[in-house]
Amino acid sequence: MKPLMLHGHERAITQIKYNREGDLLFSSAKDHSPNVWYSLNGERLGTFNGHSGAVWTLDIDWQTRFFMSGAADFTLRIWDCSTGTQLGNIVTRSSVRTCAFSYSGNMAVFTTDKAMGHPCEIFVVDTRNIDSSFSDNDPIMRIPISDSKVTSILWGALDETILTGHEDGTVKIWDLQSGKELAKAREHTNSVNDMQMNKDQSMFITASKDNTARLFDANNLMALKVYKTERPVNSAAISPILDHVVLGGGQEAMDVTTTSTRIGKFDSRFFHLVFEEEFGRVKGHFGPINSVAFHPDGKSYSSGGEDGYVRVHTFDQSYYEFNFDY
Amino acid sequence: MGKKKEGDKSPRNFENNRFNRSESYGDDEPNFSDDENFEDTITDEELLAEFLIHRPREEDSYEGIIVVDGAPQVGPERLEKLKGVIKKMYGKFGTIINEFYPTDEKNVTKGFIFLEYKNPSDAVDAVNATNNYKLDKQHTFLVNHYSDFEKYSNIPDEWTVPEPQEYKDQGNLHYYLLDPDAYDQYCLICSSGSTVQIWQNAAPEPTVVEERPNWTETYVRWSPLGTYMATFHARGVALWGGPKFKQIMRFSHTGVQLIDFSPCERYLVTYSPDGPSDQRRVIIWDVRTGAEKRSFSLDGVSLWPVFRWSPDDKFFARIGQDVLSVYETPSFGLLDKRSIKIPGIRDFAWSPTDNILVYWVAEDKDVPARVCLLEIPSRQEVRANNLFNVADCKIHWQKSGDYLCVKVDRYSKVKKEKNDAKYSVSFCGMYYNFEIFHMREKLIPVDSVEIKEPIHAFAWEPVGSKFAIIHGDQHSINVSFYGVKQGQPPSLLKKFEKRQCNHLFWSPTGQFIVLAGLRSMHGSLEFIDTNEFVVMNAGEHYTASDVEWDPTGRYVVTGVSSWKQKVDNGFWLWSFQGKKLKKHNIDGFCQLMWRPRPPSLLSAKQQKEIKKNLKKYTPQFESKDRMRSTRASKELIEKRCQLMKTFEEYRQKNIAAWNEAKTRRLELRNNVDTDELESDTKNVEEEEIEFLVKEEHTVIEE
Repeated sequence: MKPLMLHGHERAITQIKYNREGDLLFSSAKDHSPNVWYSLNGERLGTFNGHSGAVWTLDIDWQTRFFMSGAADFTLRIWDCSTGTQLGNIVTRSSVRTCAFSYSGNMAVFTTDKAMGHPCEIFVVDTRNIDSSFSDNDPIMRIPISDSKVTSILWGALDETILTGHEDGTVKIWDLQSGKELAKAREHTNSVNDMQMNKDQSMFITASKDNTARLFDANNLMALKVYKTERPVNSAAISPILDHVVLGGGQEAMDVTTTSTRIGKFDSRFFHLVFEEEFGRVKGHFGPINSVAFHPDGKSYSSGGEDGYVRVHTFDQSYYEFNFDY
Repeated sequence: MGKKKEGDKSPRNFENNRFNRSESYGDDEPNFSDDENFEDTITDEELLAEFLIHRPREEDSYEGIIVVDGAPQVGPERLEKLKGVIKKMYGKFGTIINEFYPTDEKNVTKGFIFLEYKNPSDAVDAVNATNNYKLDKQHTFLVNHYSDFEKYSNIPDEWTVPEPQEYKDQGNLHYYLLDPDAYDQYCLICSSGSTVQIWQNAAPEPTVVEERPNWTETYVRWSPLGTYMATFHARGVALWGGPKFKQIMRFSHTGVQLIDFSPCERYLVTYSPDGPSDQRRVIIWDVRTGAEKRSFSLDGVSLWPVFRWSPDDKFFARIGQDVLSVYETPSFGLLDKRSIKIPGIRDFAWSPTDNILVYWVAEDKDVPARVCLLEIPSRQEVRANNLFNVADCKIHWQKSGDYLCVKVDRYSKVKKEKNDAKYSVSFCGMYYNFEIFHMREKLIPVDSVEIKEPIHAFAWEPVGSKFAIIHGDQHSINVSFYGVKQGQPPSLLKKFEKRQCNHLFWSPTGQFIVLAGLRSMHGSLEFIDTNEFVVMNAGEHYTASDVEWDPTGRYVVTGVSSWKQKVDNGFWLWSFQGKKLKKHNIDGFCQLMWRPRPPSLLSAKQQKEIKKNLKKYTPQFESKDRMRSTRASKELIEKRCQLMKTFEEYRQKNIAAWNEAKTRRLELRNNVDTDELESDTKNVEEEEIEFLVKEEHTVIEE
């Protein structure tokens, strides 16, 4: 089917996410206003206006009550999802790179960049009451990161741990009680650009600039699978219904010397979760793909690219009919 | 070396110890002297055996001294001048700390000189570089090491028969040809040049034969018949071969950059632009013995190979200013002791099968350009062709030596412009002639094909009688095939119009050809059968930079080399019909080189017989292939089954844990079950969404 082209951003898309039910699709970009769309028809529901810098990261809580966004204007903001009004605003000392609501929605984690003498830091905040006092409350936990900065983040199962992906390719687990590092794995050789959980949150997939995506066990960081490509991988997602993963990436925008989209390989690439074999590609973007996401029902997926477009693809019947022989 | 270092260090340590000790004891130095009655029972050899080896010997001091014989004999009045010349010449090898010019009673030098270098290695360089140096017509230097005196004086008066060297069995160097399935080998250079791998092109998956990191420092080459593989090193060239790729021979030539094998692999030519001396820029070696046969001092080699070999290794030739020098083997002297004078010679090439060479001479005023066929060693001109209005010629021999094509670039007008006291010549109205020489016919008749469009490529069918030309303007590129028949001018067999290609690659066995649009044409490929002129298949290997047929004409490899571009490196394997068999994406892939095969041992008749009965053989091979591919797909499926099994086992544990934690999840989310999309039914709101189905504009009355 022809994809829906969502054109609401003026600059490169940084992240896209569905809410839990999948009826809404949220997108952030290097322009200053995150958008929210109906995933079914691609109609824009609204924008979140207020940031004054590139928005690097976003998340939605499980009830779709709050929308959170972190930006290069040194703020983390929490918005009312239904009205689009800003509820809380935490001012940081450097850009907010990643953020995520916990499973319960009672807490959120975000990280800041290492910049201007300030270290990269992980903050855990209470999000039960979001009002004007939100910005003044002390965080529940604060972990300064002395080595490689955090480039992606996830909550572990049952809100007991936090998983971080780092610029040097390491993946770490942190204990939320003590703030201590529990385990780490160094499988990637370059920046971990994105991490996404599978449906039951026992595994997660990492997307790395080292041209691979990997599947890890979420409890012990055991490396399970690796999906190899020839280009940096910016984002990867696991299908909630089939043993499939989708990878998005492409030659970095700054390295693209020709106008040819063929050499950049800006395709979404589908791999079998277990066999690590590629079985399909979806073309369309004319810049690298920065973020991919499966619809929670597994029947469609979206990709957001450096070209500023979000493309919503609904799978054809042939997608379900395709099977690997084994 | 290690020992020596120890020796160097120990006195210093000793000093340190003593220093420390004197510090702690103050000025009271203990008495270390032996007792008066002490008898030394331990000899120096026992104590210091390892250091005594390094004890200076008398001969050591000779090593820096050289004797220059054959120098001019001069009186005292010209001695200073001689000294100046010698100093200038020998000073460049190193510091001379001593010189001695022996003179007779009349104070005239005796014609030999002693020089001592500070560094013995400089002396070695000086001897290597200046021995046999021609100072002028009368004087040729004979330079020796002073230490050689002993060597030469110890030569026994009676000659004894040298011990025959033990025969070293190098194994079967042609073992790779005995592969029962006739799989070919290829050499891969990857990791941007630091790794060399030898693979066997086995079906369905290639197998690695040998892999060595840093096997070469720059590049590798196969010998023309595939027996050896040559690797390049700072110190010289090494040849490898046999089942384990053992080192077979080494040729030491510092800074070697280019090499060339003679066609029968008997000789190897190496070139080093910055060798130790000008004398030995180009060296010819005997491949089997490793002996240096002859060296040449060539300055500024612009064309490689400098020496071109006759097909039987008997002769090799080099082009010079108005002269063609033909040398013979094994004497390595000039044929008939003189070069052949050919004023205005521009280029030449040996026939690939006969001892005939062709050269061409540029046009000069009223003398036309000439293309000549010369038989060696008789120097007989077997055919000559005069041509007018020639801008350039290119010589193309057919690989079987049956035909020769000389592509002649001709002009209809010459424009001479005078700028800055120099004439610049530009040609107008270019057209192109292909002069076809029928080598196997009496008197070698010549035919001509004329094409008025620009020519992009020309290629002979290696076996057979066809040739292909890519011609035309940039926007309409055509490929024409011509056939050559005995006693008839070449006829146009087929013209493919508007094609995307800039290179021609014939199968080594003829009949099949790949038209390739490399680099700027994005790697489009067309596989053509020239018996019926059908395009069997068209394909594309995006940004491909290389196309290589395997030596049997069964496979084609297209590659994207990291020497040309940094992304998408790797190579693809195609069947000769243009079916894509395998993609190998390798980061840092540089080059793939098929290991050449020597010519078939079967006679032409036997080969014909096989071709005739091909139908008889095909079922055998087909069943073999089928079995192999079913085995492969079976293996793949088994592998997948195994993967799935282990993964399922792993998942079961996780799913069990997930089910166990259900209550915890419910707690976290206020007892709302969110495990499945549909599980939370109470909390759902219906919402109507509109889809834009169609837009219609209707003009209602104005």
